[in-house]
Amino acid sequence: MAQAVIFPKLGQTMEEGAIVKWLKKEGGAVAKGDILFEIETDKANLEVESFFEGVLLKIYVREGVTVPVNTVVGYVGAAGEKVPDVAPKAEGAPAKPEPVTPSRVESPRVEPARVETRLPEASPAVPTIPNSSFLIPNSAVASRPVGKQQQPISPRAKALAKGACIDVSRVAGTGPGGRVVEKDVVAYLESSGYNALRVTPAAKRLAAEKGVDILTVRGSGDGGRIMVDDVERAAKRKPVPMSRMRQVIARRLVESKQMIPHFYVTVKADITDLMAFRAGLKAKGVSLSVNDFVLEAVVLSLEEFPVVNSATDGAAVAWRGDVDLGVAVSVESGLVVPVVRAAQTLTLRELGAQAKALAEKARAGKLLPDEMAGSSFTVSNMGMMDVDQFAAIINPGEAGILAVSSGRQVPAVVGGEVKVRTVMAMTLSADHRIVDGSTAARFVNAVRAKLENVELWKALV
Amino acid sequence: MYDFDVIVIGAGPGGYPAAIRAAQLGKRTAIVEREAFGGTCLNWGCIPTKTLIASAERYRHAAHSEAFGVTTKGAAFDYAKMVARKCDIVAKLVGGIQSLLKSNGVEMVRGAARFEDAHRVSVVQPDGSARWLSASAIIIAAGSDSAMPGFLPQDKRVMDSRAFLDLTALPESLLILGGGVIGCEFACMAAMLGAKVTVVEMLEDIVMVLDRDVRRVLRRRMEALGVEVLTGAPLTGIAVKRGKVSGTFNGRKLSGDALLVAVGRKPNTAALDLARAGVNVDERGTIPVDAQGRTNVASIFAIGDLVTGSIQLAHAATQQGVAAAEAAAGLKSKAESICPACIFTSPEIGLVGLTEAKAQQQGRDVKVAAFPFAALGKAMAAGETDGFVKWVADPTTGQLLGAQAIGCHATELISEAAVAIRNELTIDEIGRAIHCHPTLSESWMEAAHVFHGACIHLPKR
Repeated sequence: MAQAVIFPKLGQTMEEGAIVKWLKKEGGAVAKGDILFEIETDKANLEVESFFEGVLLKIYVREGVTVPVNTVVGYVGAAGEKVPDVAPKAEGAPAKPEPVTPSRVESPRVEPARVETRLPEASPAVPTIPNSSFLIPNSAVASRPVGKQQQPISPRAKALAKGACIDVSRVAGTGPGGRVVEKDVVAYLESSGYNALRVTPAAKRLAAEKGVDILTVRGSGDGGRIMVDDVERAAKRKPVPMSRMRQVIARRLVESKQMIPHFYVTVKADITDLMAFRAGLKAKGVSLSVNDFVLEAVVLSLEEFPVVNSATDGAAVAWRGDVDLGVAVSVESGLVVPVVRAAQTLTLRELGAQAKALAEKARAGKLLPDEMAGSSFTVSNMGMMDVDQFAAIINPGEAGILAVSSGRQVPAVVGGEVKVRTVMAMTLSADHRIVDGSTAARFVNAVRAKLENVELWKALV
Repeated sequence: MYDFDVIVIGAGPGGYPAAIRAAQLGKRTAIVEREAFGGTCLNWGCIPTKTLIASAERYRHAAHSEAFGVTTKGAAFDYAKMVARKCDIVAKLVGGIQSLLKSNGVEMVRGAARFEDAHRVSVVQPDGSARWLSASAIIIAAGSDSAMPGFLPQDKRVMDSRAFLDLTALPESLLILGGGVIGCEFACMAAMLGAKVTVVEMLEDIVMVLDRDVRRVLRRRMEALGVEVLTGAPLTGIAVKRGKVSGTFNGRKLSGDALLVAVGRKPNTAALDLARAGVNVDERGTIPVDAQGRTNVASIFAIGDLVTGSIQLAHAATQQGVAAAEAAAGLKSKAESICPACIFTSPEIGLVGLTEAKAQQQGRDVKVAAFPFAALGKAMAAGETDGFVKWVADPTTGQLLGAQAIGCHATELISEAAVAIRNELTIDEIGRAIHCHPTLSESWMEAAHVFHGACIHLPKR
């Protein structure tokens, strides 16, 4: 019997998604474990495997179409088996839909890929962003495809404009009712400097192929001749919709910056003693990163300042209870933020081990959407990136984010003397609606004090 | 104040044009040469090999012209005279270069140069005295030498191409290590003069830069000349005993009067003391540069064989030398990206731009069209029907991306393709351009017709 292939629900918050790419064709053989298609959610791209063997009999959902989870997207079965012409409704899907497992998760390709969290109880699901609402000012548009304009145009004028690779909407029509006629195009070509353009044959073909208005292309060849590279550069100016994930990230960052009154407090922690302590541990075979100490210091400080571990929508404030710590991890294609759950219940070593495991999973591209959702506070450490100081954008649904910079050897005053010390800047971005300036100051100083207190670490390791 | 505006280190096919161009632009210029003006190209490369190949072909024609209705009796050759002729031609050209440099007012300094700092070099002159030169810009054009791997025995019978060219008697049997361009050129030349030649190449085939169809013709023709071509395994256990060089290929014992080593070239950077000038060198000893030939030190340029990723051809070095001289003079010049290559095997080979194999590696969709010499009247008349030309073009725009030619005069034929590709013609223009009949260059036009499925001179398929 043919098995329905359903669009998987891969996270608790996941309600819909789109198939980015089918890796099998209709009529193609499918083996157990073969990747059937790749899906895109607002957090990641995932490959979906088949658990059945046979032939992909039918594809209902084309690439790029957003559908609710559990939608039947196709059927796998024996060759020649009959399947419905139209996809059955999601409710009518077989009781035992074909199980699917994600085999690989592609990480977000962007730096500020903060995880999505919500106020408990309060917030609605993330609305989808229709591609058509994607707007870019006209000035940024390199060219509009010939033939999509509103104004009337004669067939001869249209053909001439197309052959010349120009945007006909720029041509003023002198025919009845403003109709563009052939002589208008000819006049435009003369007045616009078109006739003086020098274009290589291949570049002109490519411009026609890509719908690039040749008048907008700057030539880099001999004597300003327009070359293939120039057309390709111009074609790239055309806006293309970002991935769904990227759009969600963009919207959430804007939302955060517009809705949350950010303010920033920076302290510099002297980590010289901590580094020495850590080196001593390493010699004993205990491997903890500087970031592990930072995370633990943050967890302990959040317990002292619960308001920094809460969230507000402007009307109500909710304390998060657990410290679900988001840890930004740099991966090949950008940055992801896996979450260490109930971090306050973990020992320093457990916290370090979990953060390490999640980071490895992130780098292998194996994080699931749920593992990147629901953090209550986030730490973004760019210590490896050789930066003096930076400020991060708060994840909506959190009250703050701590941006950790590189340790620097600097002259510092210790006991009235100038010494070389390793100093690391940390900047808290806080939601001023619930975090007061003095609270933020005390919070970052609490983090600093812990990092500088080696006696504390001796007790905790 | 410096002694010169520009110093060029090395007077090969890259260095002397750089010096002349700098002088043309009004720069006070010096050129330093440690051995012979004209460099490898003129003294131990392009020119001497082509001279000997011309002699070899002359002999072969003389000995094998019965089919043309020409009977020759007792055709014989004197290799020593061939070498003497080569030496005459080289001497004439070397003299020519020196007079070109002189007429442009370039100061010629003999000796090995090494950097003292970013603007100063010291030169140990032939009489042992040292001379210091300084300049605001320095162009490094010191070239490369044959790589002689350490596992080779130190013996006069184991030689690089340079030593081979000085032999006054041709070895009766010759082993060649390396089936690249140089190895195959020497193999053809020696085989035409009756030597028993064996080429051993570790890779799966000879001259791997070429597409498979081109290599197939070359290999077949080399074998027809009597060259034994062994590929896919190394030559091991190389030893010299009792006047013979021997080695083992795939368990088979090989032996010859001499071993020509042609396994690649190494950059002449070690003796320049580049570190003192602060010039970065990568792990292979080559110098990374930008599009204008500028090294990491703004006033120092590098061109030719010793540049990272260089294609090691005389004409590429010339173009880079001119571009670097112009950049040193403050002009904004750009190195050309399209560089044809020629291989003087028998038959000759020319290639330019993208090969089918390279397109495949890049995942680029291309369409290929070839035309065989066997269908050309001129090729039949000349008795040279083995070979073909082929275009590699973009399937949508028809842009010419690459070309290869193998057969009679292929090294001349390739220039038409280079001009067409460099100027971004499409295959349509080539098809429409009238080519002389009867010539070999008609094949480019015919191949274009093949591309369009409109070839007159091939049977309909």
